[in-house]
Amino acid sequence: MSGVRFLTREIGSLGKPSWRVKAFAGRPLDDADLDAAEGWGKKLEVADHEQLVEGLRADSLSLAHVDDWAALYAIRLLEQVGLDVVYDGEQKRTEMYDHVAAFAGGFETRGIVRSFDNKYYAKAAVVEAPSAEGPQDVEEFEFVRAHTDRTVKVPLTGAYTIEDWSYDEHYGHEGGLGASAEHRYEARRRFVHDVAANVIRPNVEGLAAAGAEWIQIDEPAATTKPNEVPLVVEGFNEATRGVKAKKSMHICFSDYSALWPAVLELEDCLELQLEFANRDSRELGTRHEDRPGYAETLALFKEHGYPGVGLGVLDIHSDFIETAELVRDRILYAVEVLGDPGRIQVNPDCGLRTRSWEIVYEKLANMVQGTRLAEDALS
Amino acid sequence: MRAFAAGIYPRSEALVQATRDLDRGRASAQAVAEQVERDFRELVSVQESAGLSLLGDGMLAWQDHFRPLAESADGLDARPLTRFLDTNTFYRAVLVDGEPWLSKPLPAPDLLRGEWLGTLPSPLAFSRAAQGAVGAQALAARVLAPQVDAWGEAGAALIVLSEPFVAREGGADELIAALRELPTSVPLGVQLPFGDAASVLPALAEAPVSAIGVDFYSTSLDAVPQSYPKEILAGVLDARSSALESPDEIARFTQELLAREPAGVALTPNGDLQFVPEPIAREKLARLGRARTALAEAA
Repeated sequence: MSGVRFLTREIGSLGKPSWRVKAFAGRPLDDADLDAAEGWGKKLEVADHEQLVEGLRADSLSLAHVDDWAALYAIRLLEQVGLDVVYDGEQKRTEMYDHVAAFAGGFETRGIVRSFDNKYYAKAAVVEAPSAEGPQDVEEFEFVRAHTDRTVKVPLTGAYTIEDWSYDEHYGHEGGLGASAEHRYEARRRFVHDVAANVIRPNVEGLAAAGAEWIQIDEPAATTKPNEVPLVVEGFNEATRGVKAKKSMHICFSDYSALWPAVLELEDCLELQLEFANRDSRELGTRHEDRPGYAETLALFKEHGYPGVGLGVLDIHSDFIETAELVRDRILYAVEVLGDPGRIQVNPDCGLRTRSWEIVYEKLANMVQGTRLAEDALS
Repeated sequence: MRAFAAGIYPRSEALVQATRDLDRGRASAQAVAEQVERDFRELVSVQESAGLSLLGDGMLAWQDHFRPLAESADGLDARPLTRFLDTNTFYRAVLVDGEPWLSKPLPAPDLLRGEWLGTLPSPLAFSRAAQGAVGAQALAARVLAPQVDAWGEAGAALIVLSEPFVAREGGADELIAALRELPTSVPLGVQLPFGDAASVLPALAEAPVSAIGVDFYSTSLDAVPQSYPKEILAGVLDARSSALESPDEIARFTQELLAREPAGVALTPNGDLQFVPEPIAREKLARLGRARTALAEAA
């Protein structure tokens, strides 16, 4: 093999700087917040970052400007660690579900539910067919496009995940008690279709028209009901069919064996970006037994031949810093299994929003370095 | 006809805030414990106002169905986060690092003898949460049995064993064998939340428990065999939906269920109400009580 080159990317979210969080919460900033704005501004060589620091100190910035600065810092971080493909760390979004449910028509917030331990999230109900008056994220994309010369990949929450994480007070409510499985499935299918067609697709079309070259559909809920993976596929195809852009899907912390054969019906899907490192050993090695987190799922990619693999090589739930050599070995093992480096690109398991920027910086820098080591080994 | 709610009840906004403050170092564990007590008293009041037959404590201090037992028992501990079925929530799987044994059972709630129910994981669910590192029978005999005994002595009228896996993944025989390890000093029920019970109801007719809980938002009424020999804990409130059920619709559905002549019927949610915000759970319980009243008046 000669001239092997893997694209390195993030998946989506980064944590928000404390000065951004406090500004939006209306809480006063302290010296540590200002020091962080100044320190990261210098480290990332953000042009004119002194204006941010002074604006924060004087409390003279609008929230929109604070958002712009946060996005700019995130872009510079992803550039500086050496990623080939970047976005803005989703700095302007609340979180992946609320970002869509709060924008689209047809949803009403119902309250707070627990995710685990003392962690909670706001959950909405669909009360009528979802709708959108236009594309949601074009302005966000244009800001990113204007501030980087790297390839840009836009992450969008998928229709199935929106459906699965919402309460249903519209599609399946009537006649649900004691109903057949077919009745329930059909109600969910109509919900997914309407989100894909009425909310996600206008956004995808708007982004493509604005020049977005890559759309990533995020479906972390993809396998929560294994028999509904075909709905995930329907949602992807409905939202992206015929749109002239690269298209891919991100899934994480799921039972990937449930994805095939349904994902073979994904139309023009470049790759599935999956979480692997979370399941893997931290020891070096490229033998089958060295890489328990990769073997089973890569075998499915090998067996079915479609689509490509977005190889998760960083555990996003840990401050453990993967060495470049560990990243290298994970990539080399994947190449060995698939026999085709052209089907593989490299990314973290998922968005890195739960890690500090210091940890993120080290992890991503090592990911890029490890990718170069793998390329050298293969070339 | 009895009506009650087993399982974990949602936290009030005040308790949510208290726990968030605890995590951020802005509140003490004592402050959280005091808010848990206020939530508990309020939940008792809500259940009494709804006219429910048995009172639950809402398991307000339980992080998930397994954690307090895993942390109290010798040989067990809590592991990393694991997705809980299709609820977009997570539990901590059970780590087995020795022979399990519950020497000091969890205390009973502060409720009147004979008027309360407790909720525990079923032995099969417990074993699945431990990823099979210890069998269901061993967990039943060595961890759940001492707990059932303790709550029985403290006056529990019913203990509901939550079993979310068997309807999806099978294992009825393993479940039944494990249930035989449990004491018979207190009535037991096995609840099958958020799964289509059609495939396991016939087998569970032989289970050594008095009641089987069926989620009728995942299970067709047609799946209930005629003259089923167990009381059906009819999951007529959808704990995963914010939509509020009509008491009249529940009553009509229950009449259809009664026409199948099971050994008995009780009205319940189809799983833990923690999957909806507290104000919605409160209203659902009120409607459960109204459905029970409507059925009593119709009779």
